[in-house]
Amino acid sequence: MDGITPDLIILQLFTGLALGAIYVLLALGMSLLFGMLTVVNFAHGAFYMLGAYIGIVLLGIGLNFWMCLLFVPLVVGSLGLLAERFLIRPLYGRGIDYPLLLTFGLSYMMVECVRIVFGTQGLPFDTPELLQGASDIGIGYFPTYRLFVIGVAAMVLVLLWLFLERTPYGLIIRAGARDPQIVRILGIDVGRVWLVVFGIGTGLAALAGLLAAPLQGASPEMGNSILAEAFVVTVVGGMGSLVGAVIAGLLVGVVVSMTSLFQPEMAQVSIFALMAVVLLIRPQGFFGRAGLMS
Amino acid sequence: MSDIILTTEGVAKSFGKFRALSGITASFPRGKLTAIIGPNGAGKSTYFNLISGAFPPSAGRIVFEGRDITGTAQHRYAALGIAKSFQITTVFPQVTVLENVRVALQALVSRFNIWMPRGDLAGLAEKAADLLNVVGISQHRERLAGSLAHGEQRALEIAMALASNPRLLLLDEPTAGMSPEETRSMMDLIVKLASERTVILVEHKMKLVMGISDRLLVLHHGELLAEGTPDDIRRNETVKRVYLGQREH
Amino acid sequence: MLPAEFVARCKRHRVVLSVVFLLIFPLVMPFKAIAVNILIYGLFALGFNLLFGTLGLLSFGHAALFGGGAYACGIAIVHYGAPWWLGIFAGLLGGMLIAAIIGALAIRTRGIYFAMVTLALAQCVYFVAYQASDFTGGENGLRGIDVRDINLFGLHINFVDPLNRYYVVAAFVAAALFVLSRILASPFGAVLEAVRENEARARACGYDVRATRFVAFVISGGFCGLAGALQALHLSIVPIETLYYQTSGLVVMMALLGGMGTFFGPFIGAGVFLLLENLVSLWTVHWQLVVGAAFVACVLFFPRGIWGTILLGRAK
Repeated sequence: MDGITPDLIILQLFTGLALGAIYVLLALGMSLLFGMLTVVNFAHGAFYMLGAYIGIVLLGIGLNFWMCLLFVPLVVGSLGLLAERFLIRPLYGRGIDYPLLLTFGLSYMMVECVRIVFGTQGLPFDTPELLQGASDIGIGYFPTYRLFVIGVAAMVLVLLWLFLERTPYGLIIRAGARDPQIVRILGIDVGRVWLVVFGIGTGLAALAGLLAAPLQGASPEMGNSILAEAFVVTVVGGMGSLVGAVIAGLLVGVVVSMTSLFQPEMAQVSIFALMAVVLLIRPQGFFGRAGLMS
Repeated sequence: MSDIILTTEGVAKSFGKFRALSGITASFPRGKLTAIIGPNGAGKSTYFNLISGAFPPSAGRIVFEGRDITGTAQHRYAALGIAKSFQITTVFPQVTVLENVRVALQALVSRFNIWMPRGDLAGLAEKAADLLNVVGISQHRERLAGSLAHGEQRALEIAMALASNPRLLLLDEPTAGMSPEETRSMMDLIVKLASERTVILVEHKMKLVMGISDRLLVLHHGELLAEGTPDDIRRNETVKRVYLGQREH
Repeated sequence: MLPAEFVARCKRHRVVLSVVFLLIFPLVMPFKAIAVNILIYGLFALGFNLLFGTLGLLSFGHAALFGGGAYACGIAIVHYGAPWWLGIFAGLLGGMLIAAIIGALAIRTRGIYFAMVTLALAQCVYFVAYQASDFTGGENGLRGIDVRDINLFGLHINFVDPLNRYYVVAAFVAAALFVLSRILASPFGAVLEAVRENEARARACGYDVRATRFVAFVISGGFCGLAGALQALHLSIVPIETLYYQTSGLVVMMALLGGMGTFFGPFIGAGVFLLLENLVSLWTVHWQLVVGAAFVACVLFFPRGIWGTILLGRAK
């Protein structure tokens, strides 16, 4: 264990937070979809992957990275809207397993379509010039891009919070999540609310994918393994809880990066070990309501 | 045997900050029909759920036949001698009426046998048919339980509760959502059942149970307002005030 | 009441029907290897369906039970020189053991959590197998499960011959089918139905819902482990992908495609799926697109699956 200094640990903590930021974005979307639509989106990883590839397309037609940050979620979110409207909507009221199964099949299709268009090999994704290199964060140098990822996630969180808490639309969404009947009685088109929520959820996944692309490149399978990790985050945080998604996302990110510092081969396993511990102590997760899942 | 079958000692329940039930101390005499009544939101269902073990109390003890059963797992209640029907009907809808009761009976003899044909468990089908006779739906034995009318499903549920031959039968609003005829036959059934065992039932409509109960417990705002014979309750000024304040429906 | 009679007759004779079918099946298939695959995945889907169709629990972690069985069989043969039958037995036990571990954790959760937690725990098994490469071969898979000759009470069967191989596998599958039908008809089978139909009532009747689920999960693990062991013998290798969650998804697809609430549905689903995959991969490498689309269509338009729809059609 030579060479592991307190500074190194703190730097690794930041790496964990950057990774956690990506988990947070994914889990937020997933929790939104579950909390409001009771849909477990097995295509969430595929939308994440799509975010990276749409980013490549947009960069290819001359947009810069900053514009991608705005347009990628919009494009992928629109695809999410289509998926909700034409594939998932017919399944509401048919039990919780059906949307889950459908999105699973959908993810197969999306991954294969990307393979057809972009090939089975992964593609590189350059870090935008402005964000290359490292910045001094007081205790040492830290990759600027990772700091940027943390910043974007924090900003998205604030915007999402403002949207849900401070806009009339957010009010409708929160009310609709609690009791769709009431919203319907008030003469509001619940279907449109669900549509918007699905768009936001998938858009967040796409943003996560775009942010992850400079760190690991883009590949058709990049969404596969992160899906299971996003599940862990959602389970640990408590399904349907946005606060839970944030805290659990950061926690999982830090746990992964800390284990890869001390026991690299256990990094992947540590996520699931964490989940097992949480399940033993608190089956509904940190902020989940007991009995919600019955 | 003591003539008190069940007592609750200061049982209380809070959901978060909301105190649904303040400490309630009451005893239920053996062989009697006791009705728990009260206006909406009085805590009747919470009290019922505590007695029937759906969730544990925040404070207090529940004693059944001298044994502290507080916090006992739900599935052990049948073996203790306590059975219940739920406010929302719970039957096995995709299974025949007879099989519903047969499965309920089977719980006492075989739970994890994976090899023997289920039909070889001697006597269960006959006993099940008898129970269907008792509740008066034996003509539907081969139908799927989900296809029965609401009142018949409730009767089936009671037949399933009777399967464990309980000494204490708990009924949560047994006539909820029933037509007047269904209500009448359910009341007849309850009286019949109460002649052989202790029955505790929760009811929202006071006048339904006045005639048939031996004792009444009146809850209001999570507290025990009054208890006694129907005559005591009828004369009780506070009860009158509470019920006059909120019209029955 | 013709449909009920029909169903009852099928149920009465399903063992005989199955045996006859298993005997003639390889003769009508284009390749014997597909027939073997269909048997193995059919068995896997049956084991999965015991949980989903009979008990109503959707597990997305069955790859760990199937793969666990395959690895247990392979490790017993490769590292400990076990004979083939001991390998199969190890697979059966391996599937049950992993099911017991995953089940003990997963049954604490319910509904949708269950699918997610089983998936995550199965991924955990995948990563463990990936890391423990001394034992499992890591990302290259476990190689060298070389069984050429099966010795049965002095009778030598050449396991390399595809038709022999088919009949050996078929014998195990037939036995498993028989055991499964006994389980479904048993008192425990009745409890499974009760828990699926109404958890609260099952509990009020005196059934320990959690214990019931756990036992069912372990039994399911036995069937899936057996399927995995047969797969290991059939392929002579256990690819690491066997444990990946796509394998879990595959079995869910098969069960759904065939019809989850039915006895033979999962088997038929496995057959149709594998034939479709073979057919489609003849003219495009992108068979996953077709399979995914077929699955989506199935969820949208045939939630009862092929066999379930046929049974319903007969009933009308």
